[in-house]
Amino acid sequence: MRVDPNYISNLVSSLDQSQANEQQLTAELSSGVSITSLSQNPVASGENVLLLNQIQQDDTFTQSSSLVTGQLQVADSTLGSVVSQLTQAISLATSANNGTMNSSDVQSIGNQISGILNEVQSLANTNYQGQYIFAGGQTSTTPFTTSTATSPAVTTYQGDEDVNNLNTPNGQKIQLNVPGDQIFSASGSNSVFGALNNLVADYSSGKVNTAQAVTDTEALGTALNYVSQQRVTIDNSITQLTAASDAVTSDQTQLTSAQTNLMQADVAQVATQLSLSETQRTALEDVIAQLDSTSNSLFSKLPI
Amino acid sequence: MGTINSAFSLISGALDADQSALSIVANNVANANTPGYTEETPNWQQNHPIEINGSSYGDGVTETGATSLRDSVLVARLDQQQQFASASSARLTALDNVQALFTPDSGSTSSKAGDIGSDITSFFSSFSSLEANPTNNALRQQVLSTATTLAGDISNAAASLNSQRSGLDQEAAGVTSQVNSLTKAISQLNLQIQSTSPNADAGTLEDQRNEDISQLSKLIGINQITTENNGLSITTTTGQLLVSEGSSLQMTTGMVGGATDFFLGGVDITSQLTTGGGELGGYLTARDTDIPSVLSSLDQLAYNVSTNVNALNNTGTDLDGVTGTVANPLYIFKEPAVVAGSAASMSVVMTDPNQIAAAGLAQGTGDNTNAVAMANLANSSIVNGQTPTDYYSSFVSTLGATVSGVQAENTAQNASVTQLQTQNDALSSVNLNDEASAMTTLERSYQAASQVFAMLNTIMASALNLGDQTAVS
Repeated sequence: MRVDPNYISNLVSSLDQSQANEQQLTAELSSGVSITSLSQNPVASGENVLLLNQIQQDDTFTQSSSLVTGQLQVADSTLGSVVSQLTQAISLATSANNGTMNSSDVQSIGNQISGILNEVQSLANTNYQGQYIFAGGQTSTTPFTTSTATSPAVTTYQGDEDVNNLNTPNGQKIQLNVPGDQIFSASGSNSVFGALNNLVADYSSGKVNTAQAVTDTEALGTALNYVSQQRVTIDNSITQLTAASDAVTSDQTQLTSAQTNLMQADVAQVATQLSLSETQRTALEDVIAQLDSTSNSLFSKLPI
Repeated sequence: MGTINSAFSLISGALDADQSALSIVANNVANANTPGYTEETPNWQQNHPIEINGSSYGDGVTETGATSLRDSVLVARLDQQQQFASASSARLTALDNVQALFTPDSGSTSSKAGDIGSDITSFFSSFSSLEANPTNNALRQQVLSTATTLAGDISNAAASLNSQRSGLDQEAAGVTSQVNSLTKAISQLNLQIQSTSPNADAGTLEDQRNEDISQLSKLIGINQITTENNGLSITTTTGQLLVSEGSSLQMTTGMVGGATDFFLGGVDITSQLTTGGGELGGYLTARDTDIPSVLSSLDQLAYNVSTNVNALNNTGTDLDGVTGTVANPLYIFKEPAVVAGSAASMSVVMTDPNQIAAAGLAQGTGDNTNAVAMANLANSSIVNGQTPTDYYSSFVSTLGATVSGVQAENTAQNASVTQLQTQNDALSSVNLNDEASAMTTLERSYQAASQVFAMLNTIMASALNLGDQTAVS
């Protein structure tokens, strides 16, 4: 059996292949990425899309959560101020109700409570980055306004009952706001503004109807408890948000390491492959050189 | 009984034979690098012996010409395999260009540009961000900018695919003239072969014909049918006649539905050529099957994302308290009418970020219900029963698997071509060692014959002189 006389060209095509292989490995080393085209690993390429999607979702949630944490903390500290204002109002009212004060003192307490009313109303109208935080969905409308046309004065709520939720990447819903009327002007004895307006009216004349004033003071106490309860909702959201944010961060770390394992070139392995490939190429080149120098065919041996 | 004269004629015949054999060897060496040349060997034939008085005397040798060392079965097999290999390499080249548009994102920020997968995530994530603060202008602006990036990357990919497709179309059309000139050359060679060598291998002419057929095999898929008098007919793999002995049919092209179609004798053979093989088969497979399937996947994605996002945005309330109507819809993307072409025409029509309807229907502008709903589209099965990201993920996997399948096929076919080529070369290619040894043998034999001739000369001189040693030398 004769051999193919064009064996050198076969060797050269092996050399080409070996060089292409080296080029690919060098590209992997320099870019640090092991999969540079879809066909190299179709399954990993698809998986990579999903992993990057989750990582990016987690990233977005982390950013959003720091944004809403600010808003929730403002709401929480606002309600804290409201609680201390109301506590002060209750102690003022209690001192006015014990019957030892003259009418001008009572009137002065009425004025102080009126001041507290204004303060609480301005707290209820707190805005965060230009948006009213106790207005439900009507964040561009001042939620509470007081009309003094009647006595006691009436504070009305202009917002709505809308509650916004933030969805975590795993679908958990975190409440972002409590509508203002649920906190400040809930029905019956839970209304902060109702109780405050009544007390202002009670003390405005300087003559105290003690029985009425005591009832109104008790109503304010009930309303204060209610505000504290609503504040718990906000606190819960902050806690949930922190927990979710932590979970997402650790999830993100895991996903990133999975994605890195999937896509990043294993430098040690690639370097070994590259060195093998180089050895092969050198060997091929040597073989070609040897064959070339000795195989000028039998013609070179013929006497001329 | 032989004479000295007959010995003279016998040995000069041997010298002639050796010379012509040497010229065959010289021709082999001269054509060692000629493409398609088949090594030739001299044919030696013993002359008929002469019978004189009942005794038989040899009458020397004649060299009757050269025979090409050819195995037609092997050659035909090589041609056939070449058709498959050319088809898969043309298709692979086209697919490599396609997959270059969807390079995997390594996760670093620099690699994200142009990656549709991360565009999809960014777009829907911008709605998640908007949930946190639905009235924030910067966040609204981000929705529009990520939408623009997504639409831009999808429409760019579609535009590139379309231009690759028309590039393939032109390359395919360009093959026609090469095929036509080859079939014409083959038909002319057929005529020459039939007239000069109807019953035997036609040597050089046959070499040329085989070379042309092998060129043709690189271009299109063909069948060869040997006809009488050493003629040849060539058909496409589905039996449409290209060459019938001395005549050839010219392939023509024409535009049908925006793409080049191929005609032979008035019959549209485009789909037959597509499955036939050869470079043309590969181009046509990529043009008519691979790229359209990638495009239609992108169309599905673009259509479903655009329509679903538009529909939701249209039912919510924007920052100005407006809800979209039939007459004045609040569309983020240009609303596609049909699926086909959605990817190429995907664009963002909304310019005012206030028109993003983050709030639910009849809700205050601070509401985020609709933003939540739009963010949730990322996890809803809105594209062929899959979420947009899952759809894109399986799209890249499928594309990658197709390319890698064609790669494997191409590698196997090339290996098979190399193997057949090696077998064929072992038989038919000029081996210089063989030629050197043949030349040495012939040289020796020529020298021997010359020596015999010289001695005969001496003997003849002795006979002529008949004892007088000086008359003739």
